[in-house]
Amino acid sequence: MNIIDLLFQPYIFIPLVFPGLIAAFVLLLIIIWLERKIAAKVQLRYGPLYVLKPLGGVIQTIADLLRYLFQEPIIPKDVDKVAFLLTPVFLFGLAYLPLVIIPISPTYYAFRSDLSLLIALALATLAPIFTLIMGWASNNKFSLIGSVREGYLVTSYEMPIFLSALSMAVLYNSLDLVEIAEAQRKIWGVFLNPVAAANMLVLIYMSTSKFPFEIPEAESEIVAGPYTEYSGIIYGLVMGASYIKLYVLSLIYSILFLGGWNPSPSPDPLISGGVLFLKAFILVAFGAFLRAVYPRFRIDQAVNIGWRIAFPLSLLSILISLILILGGVSFGS
Amino acid sequence: MSLEERTLELLIGPQHPASGHMRLVAKIDGDIVVELRPNIGYVHRSVEKLAEVKKFLQIIPLVERPSLADTTANNLAYVMALEKLLGIDPPERAKYLRTLLAEINRIHSHLYGLGIHGVMIGSSTAYMWCFGDREPFLELAQELTGARLTYSYIIPGGVRRDLPKGFAERAEKAIKYLEGRMKDYFDIYFNNPVVKARLEGVGVLSKEDAIKLGVTGPNLRASGVAYDVRRAEPYAAYPHLDFDVITEEEGDCYARVMVRVREIMESIKIIRQVLKEIPEGPILHESYEKLIPPKLREEMKQRGVVKFPSVFANLRVPAGEAISRVEGGRGEVVFHVISDGKLSPYRMRMVTPSFRNVILFEHLTRGARVADIPAIYGSLDYFPPEADR
Amino acid sequence: MGVERTARHLRAIFTGMKYLFIGPRLTIMYPDEIEELPESYRGMIEYDWDSCIKCSLCAMVCPADAMKMYVSKEESEREGKVVKRPGINYTRCVFCGFCVDICPTNSLRFTGVHDVAYYTYEEQIYTPQEFSKGVPKPIYDREPKKVKAILDEKRGIVYEPSGRS
Repeated sequence: MNIIDLLFQPYIFIPLVFPGLIAAFVLLLIIIWLERKIAAKVQLRYGPLYVLKPLGGVIQTIADLLRYLFQEPIIPKDVDKVAFLLTPVFLFGLAYLPLVIIPISPTYYAFRSDLSLLIALALATLAPIFTLIMGWASNNKFSLIGSVREGYLVTSYEMPIFLSALSMAVLYNSLDLVEIAEAQRKIWGVFLNPVAAANMLVLIYMSTSKFPFEIPEAESEIVAGPYTEYSGIIYGLVMGASYIKLYVLSLIYSILFLGGWNPSPSPDPLISGGVLFLKAFILVAFGAFLRAVYPRFRIDQAVNIGWRIAFPLSLLSILISLILILGGVSFGS
Repeated sequence: MSLEERTLELLIGPQHPASGHMRLVAKIDGDIVVELRPNIGYVHRSVEKLAEVKKFLQIIPLVERPSLADTTANNLAYVMALEKLLGIDPPERAKYLRTLLAEINRIHSHLYGLGIHGVMIGSSTAYMWCFGDREPFLELAQELTGARLTYSYIIPGGVRRDLPKGFAERAEKAIKYLEGRMKDYFDIYFNNPVVKARLEGVGVLSKEDAIKLGVTGPNLRASGVAYDVRRAEPYAAYPHLDFDVITEEEGDCYARVMVRVREIMESIKIIRQVLKEIPEGPILHESYEKLIPPKLREEMKQRGVVKFPSVFANLRVPAGEAISRVEGGRGEVVFHVISDGKLSPYRMRMVTPSFRNVILFEHLTRGARVADIPAIYGSLDYFPPEADR
Repeated sequence: MGVERTARHLRAIFTGMKYLFIGPRLTIMYPDEIEELPESYRGMIEYDWDSCIKCSLCAMVCPADAMKMYVSKEESEREGKVVKRPGINYTRCVFCGFCVDICPTNSLRFTGVHDVAYYTYEEQIYTPQEFSKGVPKPIYDREPKKVKAILDEKRGIVYEPSGRS
């Protein structure tokens, strides 16, 4: 086959182009600019405006990226150099991993497995360990406090996310992402089990440090948390990693609750993939909008929310799924 | 592991996004603060010593500069002390104009404090809105005095400029704008559950401790003590005006924020009364007006801009000492001026409210969490240059 | 209680959305637009050579030691006594306006200029001759529009073109 056919093979196209590396990169560029513009509009000002003035400064992020590429990364003397330099690369790279398993149409997927939901969620949990390593390797008390906070948060959001996602798997009688999306042809998951939907949405924002849960990087208390000592392109990498994680989790959320690619105007994989991408983009933009509305919680209040509110609600969502199944709602085989 | 081995010493120093011009040395055990010591003096500019070599009128811009957001309080306190030594009493219209500027200054000083507090707990919206809403009031003050922040408006014997034409209508528009915005402020910031969770129950100051430690300003009134210098020892036009002293009972950070917000509404009430009831008359004391040549006096009355009599360049103040107290936005400002008949004061002592409130850093943060340090810092409305002078 | 808290959360988000779609903007696009300042604004000072009576009151009252008196040689020789004229040091001036208010002949006046930039430190110290030449005009990259700040009940400050250049 020639190169074009090779490119459009699903196992190359999905991880590499859409919704993989290149689409995630473009989304990263747009969402950082959009977050600043949204916050500026709510705060009665303009935001970044001058880089390409007729378009409203939309290539500001590209200018920032070029600046980061040419900036000298300062490596302090007493850090653990291997860990300091490699953890941002791993963080940024591992945040992409769940994208290989996301299907964008009933027939177009990189590889199909009966357990694709579990695989996607498990791969999404790999990232926080590198935040902990970053905090220790930086040889800075503020970084240490920031990474310990991230560790606390991980223990409080991981389990409710799994339980809420699994409650939908119980309802749809399958752990396969393609089957879950296909089962939502008539009615979306968010209407069947709204408790799980609201719960998982708040937990997604807790997992990716969006306001009001921007606790590991709380600027007014611990400078920049684990990212304090980073400058240059390695700072650009860690800054983008949390947005990539939000994008990935929003894709999973759209497939679980918002019907995936339904209602899609045509079975062409690009169109249905575009519908899925649009839903994920709206969730990411809403997370960026929350910066303009909320301050940040304290760490004990956020852990409190994770254990006292989110965990019982996730158990309740499993109960609701069981009640719906006993009441006669059934999908699949 | 003993407590000694478990504590981490954190230097929230001058190079920190939320520390201001000071250093906080914190000892932390896990997430609980064991001890917090403020280390002030980074911006000490020896204002009190400089005042011993400058002439009396040259000290007016000098004492304004330390407390940048609330300059009229220092200006007014110093000139009141001077007037006690000189033995003159300014005309009524000048007193009302002084009150007008003091209340405009109180509004935008409180908005400054609320904005900085908002960004310290993470809400950049509160910061941008508060600073944007100061603009109409800075424009009003610019129209009245000619400068946006450091007015140097009050001089011994009266004030420097008269009300421009149409000022009352423009002030009414600015006030109506702020009143209309308050609903949005409450919806998005003051009634926000996250803000309430961050601020309620944090840094509680009991009534007895407040009186014992000598704190002043809204920090005192938020603990239930109804003490305001404008009522305890009235000055300027306050004996003729009708306003309430705002207090809250809980004494936590949220109560301090609420006292400031409600004081903004009270200041709006005072400004409306002043603009309605201001009497006609001269704005400079007659003993100084006599010293101005007649042609300049005519021009002065026509343009509304006071010309200084030439005796102001070398003002000699009779020997004696005088104390004056003024309620500024942040608290009580006390000036003690001792003169021995020469061109400069023998000693000028300036006690600013931020200096009296520094003790609260150590007192309120015992047992609080690390994330409460910015919340408590912002709620005290502490301004490091004002404390260091 | 949970219901009331959720209602407050939703109200905060809706207020944010309202401002996201119909919020005004309070920005002046400086230096394309510059604000026209009121007449009484305390900007840089201009000095009238002819009406000055050389009384030195301005230098005596200046709080920042920005006004200094320079001996004017020809006039001293001509009149037989020491004649001094004021010069200003803009690196020290705090724009308080005491000199303008004390000058008995109105030889010192305010202009509305406040944003001039200099290349060297010494350019900002003016001798009396240079002082009397007037305030330098600020040089802008593009020709700016003048806007006036108008207080408004709904939007706080509205910047409208002032119609003068």
